[in-house]
Parts: sequence; structure tokens; C-alpha cells
Amino acid sequence: MGFGVAFTPFNLMMAVAGVLVGILIGALPGVGPPSGVAMLLPLTFGMDPTSGIIMLAALYAGTMYGGTITAVLINTPGESASVVTCLDGYQMALQGRAGPALGIAAIGSFIAGTIGVVLLMLISPVLARWSLAFGPPETFSLMLLGLTTVTLLAGEDPLKGYISMVFGLMLAMVGYDIISGDARYGFGIVEMMDGIDFLPAAIGLFGLGEVLAGAEQKGGAVLKTSLKLRDVLPGMADWARSKWAIARGTAMGFLVGVLPGAGPTVASFLAYTVEKKISKHPEQFGKGAIEGVASPESANNAAATAAMVPMLTLGIPGSATTAIMLGGLMMWGLRPGPMLFEKNPEFVWGLIASQYIANVMLLILSTLFIPLFVRAVRIPYSILMPLIVVFCVTGAYSLKNNLWDVGQMLVMGVLGYFMKKLGYSPAALVLALVLGPLAERALRQSLIISDAGIGILFMRPISGVLTALALLAILVPTVRAILKK
Amino acid sequence: MRNADRVTAALLLAFAVAFSAGAVKNYQWWGAGGPGPAFVPFCLGIVMALLALMMLVRSIREKNPGEAWFPRGEGLRDMLVVLAVTIAYVALLDVTGMVVGTALYLAILVRYLGKHRWWVTLSVALGAGLFNWVVFVHWLRVPMPEGMFWTF
Repeated sequence: MGFGVAFTPFNLMMAVAGVLVGILIGALPGVGPPSGVAMLLPLTFGMDPTSGIIMLAALYAGTMYGGTITAVLINTPGESASVVTCLDGYQMALQGRAGPALGIAAIGSFIAGTIGVVLLMLISPVLARWSLAFGPPETFSLMLLGLTTVTLLAGEDPLKGYISMVFGLMLAMVGYDIISGDARYGFGIVEMMDGIDFLPAAIGLFGLGEVLAGAEQKGGAVLKTSLKLRDVLPGMADWARSKWAIARGTAMGFLVGVLPGAGPTVASFLAYTVEKKISKHPEQFGKGAIEGVASPESANNAAATAAMVPMLTLGIPGSATTAIMLGGLMMWGLRPGPMLFEKNPEFVWGLIASQYIANVMLLILSTLFIPLFVRAVRIPYSILMPLIVVFCVTGAYSLKNNLWDVGQMLVMGVLGYFMKKLGYSPAALVLALVLGPLAERALRQSLIISDAGIGILFMRPISGVLTALALLAILVPTVRAILKK
Repeated sequence: MRNADRVTAALLLAFAVAFSAGAVKNYQWWGAGGPGPAFVPFCLGIVMALLALMMLVRSIREKNPGEAWFPRGEGLRDMLVVLAVTIAYVALLDVTGMVVGTALYLAILVRYLGKHRWWVTLSVALGAGLFNWVVFVHWLRVPMPEGMFWTF
């Protein structure tokens, strides 16, 4: 049934457009999946929700791959999930093997993405049914787990991660209280009563913030390579070395991706570490081992697909990018969560089917057009940057057709600049801003139905386990920091 | 600014205290059978205050003042110019209109940052202005600010 929806000419076109634009955006240094999805989300408001989400899902897959291109060619990851790809990918490029590196990444992404969609299809309905039994305490503890893990994994400094997260939650308090209707922290400004909209915030933090940070240092050096289609296909020897790396990467990526909070970036790091540990020749890692590209690239794509599982079934995004997509769903009037599968089946299955298509498109387009994308990386930063700002401004404006949102975007852009400079994680802030109102409502409802105060979070089995895990995620880095001294 | 963490921590601490105090002062602490609108913001302010305190203590113990994080010279100037021109662009949108404003903005920044030849600058500015109009005004029918120079 899903394929019927996804195969309409318009939706197919949207999938192709999404993948193409995604690869381009991902290939631009400094602009990753969250900024890409945030900037293009307004474009989809004119469409029907199914076409919109199909385009966004394709765009997400495309940006994941686009980031790989810059990682391999100019040693600059286009997004954080490609950071590890730099290690071996750039070394391969220096040895004149950029083609096979990009080729194996495309093939690995395709395999991982396709298997990921199959698993998504099998797991989601089961999980959705199971989560129907979730009450407010379970919802709250799950969100708590998502927030703490994303914070734990977001940056090098857990303290700064928690500060970003709590700051995001505080910003989420602005506006009408869902339960009592009080307008909080509005300072008498009418627009403030609607709260801080996370879409302009995400566009500012990721898009404009990156541009301001990039304005200081003029773009990096580009490796002069010319790639032909023939060069992109990896040889038999490369394939033999990579196939199990791809399989392991896919499995690990999916498992990590399903967890709320732990997204593609974590998956790629984990896959690389494991691959290096079990390799028969670990000394080649960091010097151009093709497994070092194949495994993390498969893992990050599997994780990107898997991140849709908690978003669709529980309404809890696993990463900054899925958080922004979740915002899109809510703007279309769809309520993500267990009921989505029953109320909007054509939407869910259309999305899932479009993921298959996006993966096939990605494989075809990425191998055919690699030479073209390599060119795009060379657009001078001085032209690219102002264009990104224009996109941020138009995007923020067209959300609700008002300049207030553009102003919010500007303020958040400046905040994003400082956060980036000082080592705070914008991803944790955005996730907290999205989850804040939902988590507050779940917590207060839990306390209303509870006889034991906050103890209700521990007394019900599912929420007890989830809360314990969340506390563990807070305690581990703290204990580690104390032991270090 | 030698130790950015110390300054940030102090600012966050002040913000957190004000946030909690504001919550308790203005909103109801406990409502019908459960926590009221002040409850969660108050707790968040306390958590933030604790986190800020931890960072303050840590940065005072740290002997190393930390590397310079703020750009100087050309980097700082470029960043400020981009920011200033962007603010002007947004502030003047109602006067210039989206299409004309965008073209002007691009012309100024592309020329300033890249020192590109005039034809490169102009084609980027006009091309993006046209793209903007086709996609957002013509296709998506977003009611963009029209400005005084040009009505669609």
C-alpha cells in the first residue's frame, strides 16, 4: 500500500529532488543534516504532508551521503556523522583512491539504508502497539532518557552538554502553559506568548550560527581531484575487504539508532572502533583502510533510518534532525506516536516505501553525479555563505509569514555562534526545546495521578527501568570525572 | 576576556536565579491536585544554577586561562560585517521588499567577502533574487514583504 503512495510521479520527483538537494547541502562544509532539513522544511508546507515527509526523508539520506564527500576530499566532515570517515577516507584520497572510498560509502549506505528500512517496517508497528500502554510516567522517563543520552554523547564536555540541554528546557518554558493556560515569561509581548518556536531557533542555531563561525576563517583547501564514473566503482579486492564491515556497521548502526538520543554520529564512531578492534590488520586504520570508510558510513545510514522508529512510534525524536522533522509533522497537524499508525496509515507506509526509493535513488545519483558534486564543493565560501543566510531568512519568514520569526532566527544565530565557539552543543538545545513542553506535561500529569510523588517514576516497571537508565547516563560521566582527579 | 567559562558560568547563574525567582513570584506553585505552572521552571532554574556553580568552581580551579576563543583582526571584522549587514537586511525588509532586499544583500556581501568581479557578484545577486521570487512568491505563494519599490 505504501508503494502506491510513494510511486506517484510527484512523490517520486520529490524523492529525487530531496536526494539531490540533500547531497549538495551535505557536501557544503558546515551545513549538515539538521540545517538542511530546517532550511528546506518551509518549502514543503505548500505540499501535502506525505509528499513533504518523503522529500525530507530523501533529503536526510542525501545529506548523510553528502557529508562523506567533503570528508573524503577535503578532510572536512560536512556533518558530524562523517567525522570518522575523514580518518581513512582522506588518507585514501591522498593515495589517489578517492573514487573507491566514495563508491564503497555509497554502496554501504545503500545496503545499510535498505536493511534499515526493512527493520523499520517490521519493528515500528510492534513498538507502536506496545507503546499504546504508555502512560505519562513512561513517556516522561523515556524523554528523560532521550535528553540525557543525547547530552552525554553530544560533545566532549558533559557539563556543557547538560547546560545546553537545561537551557533549551528553560527556553521551552516561555509561552502558554499547556495545563493552566498561564502565559509564562512573556514580558507582556504578544508574540512571546506563543513561545519560542523551535524551527526558527533550529534554522538560526545551525544555519546562521555556522555561517557566522565560518565568516572568521575563510574556507579550507580543496584537494584537486577529477573523478570519473569508472573510478568510483570499488574493485573486487576492496569489496571482499568491506562486505563484513558493511554488515557489522549496519547491525550496530540500527541498534544504536533506535535508542532515543543516540544518533548516527555515535553509531559511526562505535562502528569504526569495533572494526578496528576486530581487524586482522589494525595498523592500517588511519592510513587508508577501506573498512574504515565502509563500516562507519553503513552505520550512520542505518542509524539515520532507525532514528525514525522512536520518532514515528513514540513521538520522541532521536536526534536533532528527527526533532526538526517531528516539528514538521506537528505543523502538518499529524500527531506522531502510537496513534499515527492507526489514524494515518497511508502517511506512515508512504514514508517507509519512499525510504526504499530514496535509497535506490541515492545509490544511482551518488555514483552518477559524484563528479558534479565534487565541483559543488569548490564554490567559494564568499558566495555560499550569503546564500545560506538568504535561505535562513526566507525559510524563517515563510513559516508563519512574519518578521518576528526572522528576528528569533537572528538572535538564535548569534547564540549558536557563541555556543559553537565555546563548545556547547546546539543539538542538545534543540532537542530540549522540542521535548520541553511535552516532558513538562508528562511530568505534571504523572504527579497528578501519583500517590507517591516523584516515586511514581520508579514504581511502574517500564518507567522504572527507563528512569534508572537515564540516571545512569547522568552518573557515569560524573563518576568518571571524579575518578580522573 | 581571558576565561570565557568563568564569565558564562556567572551569567548563567544569575539568569538561573532570576528564572526561578520569577517563576515562584509570578505563577502558581501548586494547582488542582498537582504541580502548577511555576513548578517545572523553578526546578529547571535550580538545576541550571547547580550546573553553573559546578562550572564556576571548575573554571576557578583551572590554572590555565584557556585559549583565546574570540577572533581578532580580520576574522572578527568579517564576522561583524556579516552580522551587521544581515541585521540591516532583516530590519529593512519591510522597506526594500524581499526580492530587492535579497539581491542588494547578496551584492554587498559577495562583493565584500570574496572581492569577486562585478559580473559574478551581479549574477549571484540577480539569480538568487529571481530564484527566491519564483519559488516562494510565485510557486508557494508566500506573502513576502513587498517593499516600496516593487509590487508583484
